Amino acid sequence: MFLYSLTLHRATGVVCASIGSFVGGKSQEIVVARGKSLDLLRPDESGKVVTLHSVEVFGAIRSLVPFRLTGSQKDYLAVGSDSGRLVILEYSKERNCFDKVHQETFGKSGCRRIVPGQFLAVDPKGRALMVAACEKQKLVYVLNRDATARLTISSPLEAHKSYTITYSITGVDCGFDNPIFAAIELDYSEADRDPTGQAAAEAQKHLTFYELDLGLNHVSRKWSEPIDNGANLLVSVPGGGDGPSGVLVCAENFIIYRNQDHPEVRAVIPRRTDLPEERGVLIVSAATHRQKSMFFFLLQTEYGDVFKVTLEHEGDRVSELKIKYFDTFPVTSAMCVLKAGYLFAASEFGNHALYQFRAIGDGDDVESSSANLMETEEGFQPVFFQPRGLRNLALIDQIESLMPVMDMRVMNLFDEETPQIFTLCGRGPRSSVRILRPGLAINEMAVSQLPGAASAVWTVKKNVNDEFDAYMVVSFQNATLVLSIGETVEEVSDSKFLDTTPSLAVALLGEDSLMQVHPNGIRHIREDGRVNEWRTPGKKTIVKVGSNQFQVVIALSGGELIYFDMDMMGQLMEADKNEMPGDVACLAFAPIPEGRRRSRFLAVGSYDNTIRILSLDPDDGMQVLSVQSVSSPPESLLFLEVKASTGGEDGADHPASLFLNAGLQNGVLFRTVVDMVTGQLSDTRSRFLGLRAPKLFSCMVRGRQAMLCLSSRPWLGYIHQGHFLLTPLSYETLEYAASFSSDQCAEGIVAVAKDQLRVFTIERLGETFNETAIPLRYTPRRFVVLPKRKHLAIIESDKGAFTAEEREALRKECMEANGVGENGNTGAMDNGGEDGEERDEPMTDEQFGYPKAESDKWVSCIRILDPKSRETTCLLELQDNEAAFSVCTVNFHDKDNHGMLLAVGTGKGLTFFPKRTVEAGFIHIYKFVDEGRSLELLHKTQVDDVPLALCQFQGRLLAGIGSVLRLYDLGKKKLLRKCENKLFPRTIVSIHTYRDRIYIGDIQESFHYCKYRRDENQLYIFADDTVPRWLTAAHHIDFDTMAGADKFGNIYFARLPQDTSDEIEEDPTGGRIKWEQGKLNGAPNKVEEIVQFHVGDVVSCLQKASLIPGGGDSIIFGTVMGSLGALLAFTSREDVDFFSHLEMHMRQEHPPLCGRDHMAFRSAFFPVKDVIDGDLCEQFPTLPLDMQRKIADELDRTPSEILKKLEDIRNKII
Amino acid sequence: MSVYGGDSWGREAQQRKRRVDDLLSSSSNASSSFKKLSSGKFVCLVCPHNPVLDSSLMLSVHNKGSRHVAAQAKQKENELRRQQELNKRIVLSSKTKIQPKTTSSNNHVKPLVEQTRTTILELQSTKFTLNAKDAASNDSHSSISSRERRQKELKFIAAGWKRDCHGKWFRDENVEFDSGEEDPNVCPL
Repeated sequence: MFLYSLTLHRATGVVCASIGSFVGGKSQEIVVARGKSLDLLRPDESGKVVTLHSVEVFGAIRSLVPFRLTGSQKDYLAVGSDSGRLVILEYSKERNCFDKVHQETFGKSGCRRIVPGQFLAVDPKGRALMVAACEKQKLVYVLNRDATARLTISSPLEAHKSYTITYSITGVDCGFDNPIFAAIELDYSEADRDPTGQAAAEAQKHLTFYELDLGLNHVSRKWSEPIDNGANLLVSVPGGGDGPSGVLVCAENFIIYRNQDHPEVRAVIPRRTDLPEERGVLIVSAATHRQKSMFFFLLQTEYGDVFKVTLEHEGDRVSELKIKYFDTFPVTSAMCVLKAGYLFAASEFGNHALYQFRAIGDGDDVESSSANLMETEEGFQPVFFQPRGLRNLALIDQIESLMPVMDMRVMNLFDEETPQIFTLCGRGPRSSVRILRPGLAINEMAVSQLPGAASAVWTVKKNVNDEFDAYMVVSFQNATLVLSIGETVEEVSDSKFLDTTPSLAVALLGEDSLMQVHPNGIRHIREDGRVNEWRTPGKKTIVKVGSNQFQVVIALSGGELIYFDMDMMGQLMEADKNEMPGDVACLAFAPIPEGRRRSRFLAVGSYDNTIRILSLDPDDGMQVLSVQSVSSPPESLLFLEVKASTGGEDGADHPASLFLNAGLQNGVLFRTVVDMVTGQLSDTRSRFLGLRAPKLFSCMVRGRQAMLCLSSRPWLGYIHQGHFLLTPLSYETLEYAASFSSDQCAEGIVAVAKDQLRVFTIERLGETFNETAIPLRYTPRRFVVLPKRKHLAIIESDKGAFTAEEREALRKECMEANGVGENGNTGAMDNGGEDGEERDEPMTDEQFGYPKAESDKWVSCIRILDPKSRETTCLLELQDNEAAFSVCTVNFHDKDNHGMLLAVGTGKGLTFFPKRTVEAGFIHIYKFVDEGRSLELLHKTQVDDVPLALCQFQGRLLAGIGSVLRLYDLGKKKLLRKCENKLFPRTIVSIHTYRDRIYIGDIQESFHYCKYRRDENQLYIFADDTVPRWLTAAHHIDFDTMAGADKFGNIYFARLPQDTSDEIEEDPTGGRIKWEQGKLNGAPNKVEEIVQFHVGDVVSCLQKASLIPGGGDSIIFGTVMGSLGALLAFTSREDVDFFSHLEMHMRQEHPPLCGRDHMAFRSAFFPVKDVIDGDLCEQFPTLPLDMQRKIADELDRTPSEILKKLEDIRNKII
Repeated sequence: MSVYGGDSWGREAQQRKRRVDDLLSSSSNASSSFKKLSSGKFVCLVCPHNPVLDSSLMLSVHNKGSRHVAAQAKQKENELRRQQELNKRIVLSSKTKIQPKTTSSNNHVKPLVEQTRTTILELQSTKFTLNAKDAASNDSHSSISSRERRQKELKFIAAGWKRDCHGKWFRDENVEFDSGEEDPNVCPL
């Protein structure tokens, strides 16, 4: 079995983010590392974050730091990754991609303890760069430029210190003195040698300054001072005339200013009033804002509160450090302050946000200062504050993020054309169920009712130079309605359009005249109000029309074509005639070539299943240039021109080409390349779009021509980063559409569907899915689908939080404590209402997080959710410190009176530190009441560990309780243990069953295949895996095969060899399975790993499903970083050969950006086996043209054939 | 055998049972379904390809196997058919022995004798067929009931009941039972 791996939805979580001017000039961009991809983002004028460029780097990015050489206008980007190499990238604006400027190898690949890459720091003047490992090693590179102003990099200088753990590093701003790097270090050499543990208890963190002597070309430890053991982060303070230089040390509860030869200045971080005493406050992310005259820091705590830190200084003496409460927003992994007045908050989990500054924290908020730091006997006096709604910031945009995907199912619960993906995402109060539908999201601007069922709609401008459309013309069965587009859309009667007949086409002709084609003739409305009418000869009627700005062609019933041409006077003249063999089905003009007035080709589709290309050359007389036969009569034709591109906005190189698209009556979209000179057709592709014949319309998307195809659902064909993408829109069936442009929406689409007129815009191009989110209460753990009622049963649990009632009580208490004094209207607060004028919005947990409880306290709930109405029909909060961990539906045989029951495995008082302990585990059995909308507890059974896996098996319940597999039957008061097997190595985390086989996933020992023997009431393990896999996800593929994913980011398939499987099945007496013994306590048979692939991200869920109607199954997986991918099995040997060769060439010609070898990355833990990396293959269009041609030659194909292949295989998946 | 540990007496009981089986198989030489070879192995005489089995346990296990059961049923059927054929032949032969005589001799001479003979013949033949029918119906009836019994037994085993060495049912100590659960000892199979 060979598989093709493809990322369907790029990772959305952010590991690190940084700001710089990568494009050059004044603009600022945010560079974001999402694990294994690197994105360049920029907020546009309207405050929406757009992705300029996104590239998969096939490696794990661990740190990013931008730097600028003095006097330069542009920032470089240094990337620390798992490649054992330092990579310096430069963004190329012309080609819209990152170029590798330098790649310096310093160590082994992989994320290792002593191989640098985890930390990066750069001298603020861009003269040197330090790359550090978690332990021991630090390397300093000197950056310079050569005579041609190109960046040069020195050989590394070592600043190693053994037995030292590094926590954070930063470059100290010291003007143009020798570059200095600061580091928080911990020396553990003594602790390592002292068996009593005393030295370990006394270990002390130090702040160390490393100086790079540019003259001697040597790095030395210049200064080392003990600091708080809670120190975790360093922030560089501006220096060299702009400020006092030095660093801010962020420690538990304190911010400390430190510098050489300067006394420490310490201030306490204000605490939330409701924070338990034993909890400290740590800073997790920091951003610095510098202006000419001032600078400040924004620091965010682990609870989401942001503080503004300012320093009072004179010269380089700091007199006071002030920490002022700024605002609160969800915890970030990185914050970036933009000069344009934006704050980009890359959330740790959940959606990212872009805020706009409304103020810079000059209000009267709680402030703590080093000046009034009070030390008492119990330590420093804390400062308290109460979080409030956003005051200094305003949210202006959100970027959706699935991170982390906890669980996923692909199901068609809504009975739509394609299945939906249901994912559990997020963490804590920001968690949600997200329903993903393949397709682009649309933004509906208006829906208005029409007097009847409309058949067509057009929009026309009054003048070709107008920016916006003037009229919208709607055609009905026997009438035409004309609407004018302005501030509002209203009916007009002075337009001179004929309104008593249906229309066939309405268009702008020439510069400023309008044309209406109706079955009996052509009405040409001149700008000055004159109307010319051309009537059809005899009893013939017009059936089809094609037109562009200067040319019109009509098809009369019977197959006669009449071609009109506009003369210099703006008069429409009959130019030519042609008789087609039969009735004409559709007509289309080719686009007008640049610098010409007339189109050269006319495409004619006929009911005899052909498409003809006619020449419009005046000398040729509508001669047929080429004929293409198709599988079914064409319904609609559209030429789509792709302009030549060499990178640029497109991000890809391709020559100009002309495509003829045809929507066939059998629902297929047929695409072929038209030679722009000869009109010959070649390179045909077809794709099934839906059950109705696709109607094709041209529209504008991001300033480029795109194609709208209306079949049983709408599709959009457009070019995105070099790929032609044909993506469905998440919208209902439309009848007819036209592009729409007004001052409210520049690139809209107007469409008719039955008797409604709809105006919408298309959003988030390039994305594969659009999301609908339903918020949840706690971190979702797992869910099951209740197939009968199409509901979801979700279990949610969180650690260290209060239950809903406790939270409510706390809130009330808190309100009373400070609310009564303020305004005294506590009654309003009870209803969750506003709290006076102080806080104009209620405190949402999404924004502020849950109040923190003791770390061993659990909260959990079971929810029945109707995804269609988005309504929670039942929510059971578990009591007594219990938390749910597993769920399944079960039908007990012989106990039919209960029907389907819900089993939930819970743990009580689970702690992980210092040792994993649990008070008790339970299995709850719930009955569905109220037509499956609600749950009722039947009984709960105590077990000795947390049941992490539950599954129905032969009318009974299988439960994995710690390392024990048990079979339970339903009793009256509790579950009855009927059979068990204690031979599993560690902890059972997944159970799948098929016929009499049971597939057990162990947390660290991969799969075990079991059999239940009814006649002996015994469970036997007959096969297991040879590789210790730390299982995170499992899915049953077939009788002998399981797919699994481990926590190191690998996906693998384990299969029982056929002969072994046969032997086990043909064992009537069962003696063999009973008596056979494996070696070293293992099972007698071993499964084989037939597929092996390193995804590079922890896979949290796997499922076999098909995302397209009638498509083959693929394995869909979701990852912690919020990406979705698919593995598709190849069906032919040729495809395998082709793609493996393409992959091989791509590996050679296009090595990954961050320096990791592609093959080594995909084989990071186990050698990659039988999987072809589609993400690498899909980078083919981004190669330079000559490289594309070279690879294509090696494969005996043309580049366009390769693109077609890539498109085809993608279309098989989605 | 038991996964619960070594102190269960079930294993001992099973061994004892096996020994008894052994003795039984060695004593009941009369049964012709197998033969003990000089090597101490057993050869099954029922199955068409005469498989050699290492021990009496394996033999007994083999004897419970579907292939053996099928072969046994087939053998039984063959036997029955042979017997029937034999009887018929005997009767017919006796008839043909007599008939030439009767045909050659005068029919009318001894009508009474002739009549009696035919009656006896008829009687005899119907008796044979009746017998055969009886045997067949008995067989099918028993097989159905045995299947039912097997199902029931399996149900009890799956519910956690075990048989002791006397064939009595007892509760497995590692299995939990509901209060009002059926007792196989009370409601016999």
